[in-house]
Order: sequence, then C-alpha cells, then structure tokens
Amino acid sequence: MEAARKTEVLHGVVRKMMAGGADLQTNEWIEFVEAQNDGFRTGPEIGAKVPDFTLPDQSGRSRSLHDLMGPNGLLLVFSRSADW
Amino acid sequence: MKAHGINAASITYDSREVLSNFGDAHKIEYPLLSDVGSKVIRAFGILNTNVPEDHKMMYGMPWPGEYLIAPDGTVRDKLFLRSYEHRPSASQVVLRHFDNASGNSAVIKAGVVSATVSLSTDRCFPGQELGLALDLRLDPGWHIYGKPLPANYQAVDLILESPLIVEQSLELPAPRPLLLKALGETLPVYGGGFKAHGKVGIKWSPPMPAPFLKALGEKIEPGLYQIAGTLRFQACSDDVCEPPQAIKFALPLTIEAGIPPAPKKSA
Repeated sequence: MEAARKTEVLHGVVRKMMAGGADLQTNEWIEFVEAQNDGFRTGPEIGAKVPDFTLPDQSGRSRSLHDLMGPNGLLLVFSRSADW
Repeated sequence: MKAHGINAASITYDSREVLSNFGDAHKIEYPLLSDVGSKVIRAFGILNTNVPEDHKMMYGMPWPGEYLIAPDGTVRDKLFLRSYEHRPSASQVVLRHFDNASGNSAVIKAGVVSATVSLSTDRCFPGQELGLALDLRLDPGWHIYGKPLPANYQAVDLILESPLIVEQSLELPAPRPLLLKALGETLPVYGGGFKAHGKVGIKWSPPMPAPFLKALGEKIEPGLYQIAGTLRFQACSDDVCEPPQAIKFALPLTIEAGIPPAPKKSA
C-alpha cells in the first residue's frame, strides 16, 4: 500500500470511529488493518542482543532489563496501547 | 511461566497514569512499562512507520509482538504475527521452550504407535495463537514415513479440523533415509519416535457488534469447544507394512469472553 494511502486510511477510519463509526464500511476496516501492519518489522533476530533499557512501570518504579530478567529469561511483550 | 523462572513485562507508549489505571482494572501483576516518546520501541526497530507523525492516537506505537529474552540478553525466540488482530500467547512459549503444556492432551494408542497431542493452553481468547505439540513413539523395529514420499505411501501428518482455526503448522524433525531392500527404494522415515511443535491460530472475533465488522465473520461465542483432529501415518517394519491409518481425536478448548476495556478516568 502506498504511504499516502496509509496516512489517509489511518486518519480517516479513526476519525469515523470517533464519530461513532456508523458510516464505516467493511472494506475500510480491512484497509485499516492492512495499513497498520503492511511491511511490519520484528526487530532483533534470534541470537542477537536486545537493546538495554530502563523505563518506569505502572507504579512509577524505574525498571531495567537487568532487574526485570527472571532466572531463565524474560517474556517482553510490545503492545499498541493500553488506552484504546 | 513463574514455575519455569520466566518473568513477564510489557511495553507501550502510554503514560504511567494510563498504565496504572489499566493495571488496576485488569488486576495485572507484571510490570507495564511506560515508553512515552517510544524511545525503546525505536531502539528495538519496531516503531510502526506506517503511522504518520501527525496521527495523535496511533503515532509511536510498535508493530505488536513478543520476545523471549535469555538471561544473557539475547533473543531466544520472537513471535510477531502478520495481522495485529492475531496475537501470540505466553503458553505457546512455555510449551515450545520448556516442554510444558497447560492445555488438554489426547492420548492415542494404535498398534505400534503411541502418541500424545497437546495444546499449550485449555483456555484462550479469540485471535490468539496457541502452541501444539506431538510426542510420538514407535515400538522397536518399526518406522513411519516422512516427506517427500511417493503417492502410494502415507506420511505422518497431524491436522486439526475446527471452524475456530484459521491457521496451523507443525514442524516435524528431519526424517532419515532408509533403504527398503525388498522394494529397492530409499524413503524418508522416523524410527523410535520424535517430538514436534506447531502453531494453531484461533479465529479472530469482532470485538464489538458494529455493522461494518459483521461481514468479517460471526462473533465466536464464549464456551467449551471440542477441537477435532486426525493423526495419519503408515507403520512398517522390515517385513510387514500396515495399511495407512487415520486416528481421530478431540482436544477440549474453552474460548473466554472478551474483557471490557478499563473504565477511563475522567480528565
């Protein structure tokens, strides 16, 4: 999908959803899903080191990769948002 | 995961306030990390670059997926699916890497073949990807066939048949070539037994009753389902070849009701 079309679809569908979504068409939704994941990338390959990081958690506590790590590993999940 | 020494954490671009609200509403005990500005999402190379910078709601989000990171900081496995509507599950990681199925199993005993087929979990949400395991043992002196194979033989094959399943795969180990002297043919076989892992994609279900989602498929009703399956193989020894077999089994799986979004705190 062309970059300009992705922009148009991602703006357009969210605008319609905010307005209640009554006039949304099925094909627009399919394009909306496609526009988000087209050409998706998956980051570091198996066997490669992941970037080190430190981020605050939901209680405000600062957490590093090192202190999140379990004895046998860490399952690190990247999600779109917890807000929508 | 705890029993196997694996911790869990998630990363989103949300503020700490959003995550605290979400964590409280869903009683989440693992760390929800706040990557405002998407610095870590960018460092991993998974910033969703399809989203234009002026998109207030979506800019900064990643392509969703998960990594199993080893204690030395290297990627042991990663799970990213083609559509964001389908998501990998923690249970499939535990099944594949720690050989622990918390789902239901079917035990098959058919002549010289014994097999256990397991799902990684006994409950899931629509749109999740689950793990599948096949542990197959053969009596000594017998083999079953792998691929590629001439048409008149049956290679070992495991298929789940359910309207709930949209995608499935099973990675069999490489078979070894065996010269069948009586036939003068060399064919790929398994002897002794093997363990194989696979993936089962559960159908996505429209999360809301909007008219524009109706055409994409019926809502999956929560409840207990029986996932039917068939294990096919043909067992032979040096002297005897049994006819191909197709053994039916069923794996119970509960589809959970979707969880309503966390109530928004008034601004």
